[in-house]
Amino acid sequence: MPENAGTDVLKAFKFFLGGIPPSPKLLPEPLVNAVAGLSSVRGRITRLTNIERLFVTLMHREPDRVPCCTVVNGGSRRLVGHTYAEFSTDPKIAAECFLAGFNHIGGEVIVPLVDLSIEAADFGQKMVYPLNSTAHPDYADPVIKDVEDYRKLKPIDFKSASRMQGFIEAFSIIRKGVGLKGIVSGFVFGPLGVLSMMRGAGELFRDCISHPSDVMAALETITGVLVEFAERQCDCGAAMVVIDTLYASWNGLSKELWEKIEGPFADEVAASIRKKGAMVGVHNCGHGVYFDAQIRSMEPAAISFAHLPDDCRSRRELKERYGGQVVLIGMIDTPLLTHGTPHEVMEECRRQIDDLAPGGGFVLAPGCEFPMNGPLENAYAIVKAAELYG
Amino acid sequence: MVIKEKDVLDDIRAAVAAGSRKETSEMTGSALKAGSQAEDIRDAILGGLNLVRRGLMSRSASIPEFLLCVDAASDGLAKLSEARIEMGREHPTIVIGVVEGDPHEMGKAIIAGIYRAFGFRVIDLGVQVPAEDFVKGVLQSGADILALSAMMSTTMVQMPDIISAVRQKSPQTLIMVGGAPLDRKLAEQYGADGYAESAVTVLEETQAVLEKSSRSGQYRS
Repeated sequence: MPENAGTDVLKAFKFFLGGIPPSPKLLPEPLVNAVAGLSSVRGRITRLTNIERLFVTLMHREPDRVPCCTVVNGGSRRLVGHTYAEFSTDPKIAAECFLAGFNHIGGEVIVPLVDLSIEAADFGQKMVYPLNSTAHPDYADPVIKDVEDYRKLKPIDFKSASRMQGFIEAFSIIRKGVGLKGIVSGFVFGPLGVLSMMRGAGELFRDCISHPSDVMAALETITGVLVEFAERQCDCGAAMVVIDTLYASWNGLSKELWEKIEGPFADEVAASIRKKGAMVGVHNCGHGVYFDAQIRSMEPAAISFAHLPDDCRSRRELKERYGGQVVLIGMIDTPLLTHGTPHEVMEECRRQIDDLAPGGGFVLAPGCEFPMNGPLENAYAIVKAAELYG
Repeated sequence: MVIKEKDVLDDIRAAVAAGSRKETSEMTGSALKAGSQAEDIRDAILGGLNLVRRGLMSRSASIPEFLLCVDAASDGLAKLSEARIEMGREHPTIVIGVVEGDPHEMGKAIIAGIYRAFGFRVIDLGVQVPAEDFVKGVLQSGADILALSAMMSTTMVQMPDIISAVRQKSPQTLIMVGGAPLDRKLAEQYGADGYAESAVTVLEETQAVLEKSSRSGQYRS
């Protein structure tokens, strides 16, 4: 524990009084372990509350059943009849949708990700807000048009960062609405991801090899903004903040290049989250995710993933290699959720629970956001599977 | 100074593999001037490209390296075209594009680059392509293959309708699909003839699809 443990306990107590489950990192480790152990034992004879279940899971103990996160984000707009454009641009509507998803479908965790362009939009990236699909940059008009533009990127005054401010507003409403029924995790797109939204992934990848110092100059600017964004989420009661480092996978840079280009900046964002007493989560839905490099860089408490890491050939190997180091969150396939039947989804969930849940430290979830126009009965199937087989 | 032809071709192969556009272009020009056969130069360029493509398979190469390699190969091949050198081969035509509502360019651009490099005639319709434009593109070009890309769960669901529309108007056109949220099972379910999981496997998959329809032998990888 850090030397200011007393202050951390006070902060945890304040969060708790405010109806917000505090991060276990704010509490003394022996106390956390003792409570987790007792709750795990209690979970064998009776049903735990959502918060207890998550707490036990995060401490790598076996709860009464696995917790789940449906990641029904954009899809939740259909429960209340809003368009995606409204969901993306109005924080109150976004909060209403997320809460509807949580209350109607269930689960123990909300990750209120609206789209991956929130940070880039505040850097001045021109956006497109489709009526019923995810908001995305106008790639025909990127902020970074040429290599020289990397060094021209300027830090943002958070007061004028309307999309990030909107995220904080939505987060606060959701946090209040969920109360002690679950955890609301914060979310930031990783520095390289934000940059890709302002340059285009193809050009950025080329520049990472041909002009790494220019790319890293822009990443430094972006990281300063992401640190502030993450800290504000922690101040609003995020027990965990997830950093999305998509390009730390076979779909992005080589492991060595990722550790050189984005690793140090991802570490800076992660350190700021830990300093605030919150847990660091990582999301990466790429193929062949570099678990080892990301653990080295960000020391996360949990990793959300869609595919096996580059150094594991099976789920059981993954559990054996990394299950003791990080909480595993995943890994239900997007095509299955889009086109599978609820029965097929439940069967796959059962197989994943069999492989990944023993010993605790597993949250059942889609490997990526639940398909936003996919059949919502498959989200209910995830919750049902956690209850039945977890 | 006398430079052996084999050395020149090896250098071209290495320049492509290193993703050096300038060197590839210059060496291709020099090799042509020195009297190397265009077929040999082309094979050296493709050799470099294949080296990195296979590196992707074994994970010794990464996507950024492959992108640079495709750029270099394209420059080298363009140099051959500038010299108006015909390879005297049939070129299967591929219409490629990303489905409507989907702005993701990179994966499609990589695949289009590979197809071009390996001798296909590529008609790139770009991103966010409406279904009717795919039909129009196939009919106007008499495409042998239509390659559809989608990177989002919201956009991939259009693929069955596009496939059905193209089948109605041009039943002989083979259809391949690819993109992050897809898998082989889904490709089959959508009615596609083939599924390209990645840049690593796209040529072999295309060859298999062409062979199945008895249109093989039109390119080599």
